[in-house]
Amino acid sequence: MHTRQSIIEIFSSFVQFEADRFSSWATDAKLRRSMQRCVNLSPQIDSLQTNSDHFWAVYWYKIWLSQAASVQPTSIAKGHLSAYLQEPCYWEAKKTTASFSSNQYTLSDCFQIAISQIDRVLKNYDVNQGFVLKKYATVIFSSAIRETLRQRHEVDICTPWGLLRKISQKRLIESLQTAGLSSTIIDTYVLAWNCFKTLYIPKQATVTRQLTRPNNQTWEAIAELYNSQTQQPQNPDTLERWLLNSAVAVRNYLYPPLTSINNSSSGQDSVEWIDNIPANEQDSLISEIIAQEEEESRLDQQAEINQVLMSAIDQLEPQAQKIIQFYYGKGLTQQQIAQELEMKQYTVSRRLTKSRESLLQKLAQWGQEKLHISVNSDLLQNTTIVLEEWLQNYYNPPRLPSSLE
Amino acid sequence: MTLDTADTALFTFAKPTDLILEIPPTEDAQKFSPIATCYQTYINQLCLSAILPWLQEDFSPQAQPAFNTAALPSIWEFVNGCAIRIANKRLILIPSEAIDISELRVPQEWIDIPSWVGDYYLAVQVEPDAGWVRIWGYSTHEKITTVASYQPSDRTYSLDASQIFSDISSLAVVQRLCPEEPTKSPLPLLPTLPQQQAENLIARLSNLNVITPRLAIPFKLWGALIEHGGWRYKLYQRRLGLPEQWSILEWLQKGVSQIPQQLGWVTLEMQTSMALARSSEQIPPQTVLSRHLLIAGQAYELRIIPQGDAQQRIWRFELQNATVGVSIPGGFKLRLLSEDLQPFPNNEDTATTAVEKLFVEVALEPGEGLVWEIEPVPDNYDQEILRF
Repeated sequence: MHTRQSIIEIFSSFVQFEADRFSSWATDAKLRRSMQRCVNLSPQIDSLQTNSDHFWAVYWYKIWLSQAASVQPTSIAKGHLSAYLQEPCYWEAKKTTASFSSNQYTLSDCFQIAISQIDRVLKNYDVNQGFVLKKYATVIFSSAIRETLRQRHEVDICTPWGLLRKISQKRLIESLQTAGLSSTIIDTYVLAWNCFKTLYIPKQATVTRQLTRPNNQTWEAIAELYNSQTQQPQNPDTLERWLLNSAVAVRNYLYPPLTSINNSSSGQDSVEWIDNIPANEQDSLISEIIAQEEEESRLDQQAEINQVLMSAIDQLEPQAQKIIQFYYGKGLTQQQIAQELEMKQYTVSRRLTKSRESLLQKLAQWGQEKLHISVNSDLLQNTTIVLEEWLQNYYNPPRLPSSLE
Repeated sequence: MTLDTADTALFTFAKPTDLILEIPPTEDAQKFSPIATCYQTYINQLCLSAILPWLQEDFSPQAQPAFNTAALPSIWEFVNGCAIRIANKRLILIPSEAIDISELRVPQEWIDIPSWVGDYYLAVQVEPDAGWVRIWGYSTHEKITTVASYQPSDRTYSLDASQIFSDISSLAVVQRLCPEEPTKSPLPLLPTLPQQQAENLIARLSNLNVITPRLAIPFKLWGALIEHGGWRYKLYQRRLGLPEQWSILEWLQKGVSQIPQQLGWVTLEMQTSMALARSSEQIPPQTVLSRHLLIAGQAYELRIIPQGDAQQRIWRFELQNATVGVSIPGGFKLRLLSEDLQPFPNNEDTATTAVEKLFVEVALEPGEGLVWEIEPVPDNYDQEILRF
């Protein structure tokens, strides 16, 4: 994959996969025109700043934020941001397939898992915290890919009945929504599922994944409980069918299909982006962002943060340092680290948590003393992102823009 | 323990912000028997046994469940979750078997019952087959009351994963750098239930056709019912078909019943002071009941001593320091209340200055129930209804 060069390209093109490899960048015409217009609008602005992709990311993010209340899933701001985040998404997917070799998931698969997190990224991104959107998104993408792949392994070794006991109500509802069921139907399924969970209990201590089908007597009891809570009684066979359907929906939820934007062979129309930004709003927003741009102070802080964290790592015990190096530097899994250092995997997890605790504390203390930021759980949530971002970059400096696949 | 491929996947894909803890091997099949009526009890036991050692090692050696260990099954019979005391904070563990970590679902009891409320709520995934738990985040009472969405169908507060603090390492950090972080929202007290109403509710909920008692009556009534340790035990006994555990007369005749024994009640043979004074005569020692309590870091003993003869039904409650010669500090109080926590005349003794003992004497009707209270509150205090 070649990285994109021009601002217009970065905010208007999408990765195209073919045979599970990168094939090209496809430009969306509407997004390109919109971006061209923006660039034309700002000739008076110093070219150095408007060429910074971060500047435009903040710009489109603020537009997206101002429109978020009106629920536009295909707003043009989101289109631009989706295009922008194609690259970090691609790199995370690439990293995953490189580290965890398996034929169970493909590059485009991992890409899709990550890109479907965009809504979550935008909703939780806080531009005031000084994160670069690209780096914030990278942390979220990485976490989402890992979590989904892990869940797939779990789901794959469960029988339908075991699986149904091991999902949250939220996941059940989301899976049924993705499968296209109406909310009325979903309510009945959820009630049936709750009755199932209440009455069908594992009989053996360690047989929860491989749970067998409830016997007929249990089904009768489930139906009775269900019917006592609804105006529309059902027989046990129907409830059993609903629950089996639910299990299928839950499995499918973890395998999102590649969206048409990234699938050049899908033959579907590209997304209709909705552009309803008043023209004068764009102008004033550009000036506002320039005024707020604290590029220089951010770079200064970056140097101090480097100092704090490098010295914090030096103060860790040698074995803890090794674990950090292996995990963030070599990209070893906790399992591989355990083998390498001849310790239990549980021990790796605990040591890693403890080391990160120590780094997090030093970073938070620095913030407390230097920036007079009071420490609380909310702040630490952001400090974690800073820490994760730093650890990834410290051991793996970003690629140069001119590198080719 | 060797892990199969799915669990290797756990460590392969583990996020650095999660903490994975092993469930100690002794906790598996033995604890879970058909007699343990409750799968929920089993899951909560696994969760506690995996997490408590970690809390004791990494946070404070004093970390302990906030209820007496013997009391925990009576909670888990009805509600998911476990409260832990660390220093002056309460942690509530919320175990779930869900593979996905899309939400943290906290039962209303841990949010809206004033004496049950916690500072921090830990989201714990429990995997019984493979023997591990995963702590994937935490939240605070304050966050849950302001941000979570209430689910009337199962009376839980649900927080989306994105609303949870996902880095478990930050819990220790916030304790060290900002222990005074506001974590709790203020709560109204639950209305006290009159005894007759409590008895009616218990009778209704004892019926095993009521499959989920906590959903069967309005929460205000349910909360008040289980917040009262005596009523909670009563309901627990009835649903499990256990015989009455708190009959004092039975304790004196046959020995302390199983559950109170686990709470620390014992019988003692005592020479009464009268018998000692007339040492030339053979007066048989008296059986009294005794329970050790930890109050403000010191060991105390609560005793119940029958007075006079059986017809008179007079009982004497005594509190003294467990170490002979050490007195009770000024300010301590010993108090007796009716079953529904109502006072009555002469029900209380206060140490205005340091004293050797506090005592209260009562005359009781057959079958009458009493609750004892002490100020300051003993560790893991839970009301018990003693039946005379």
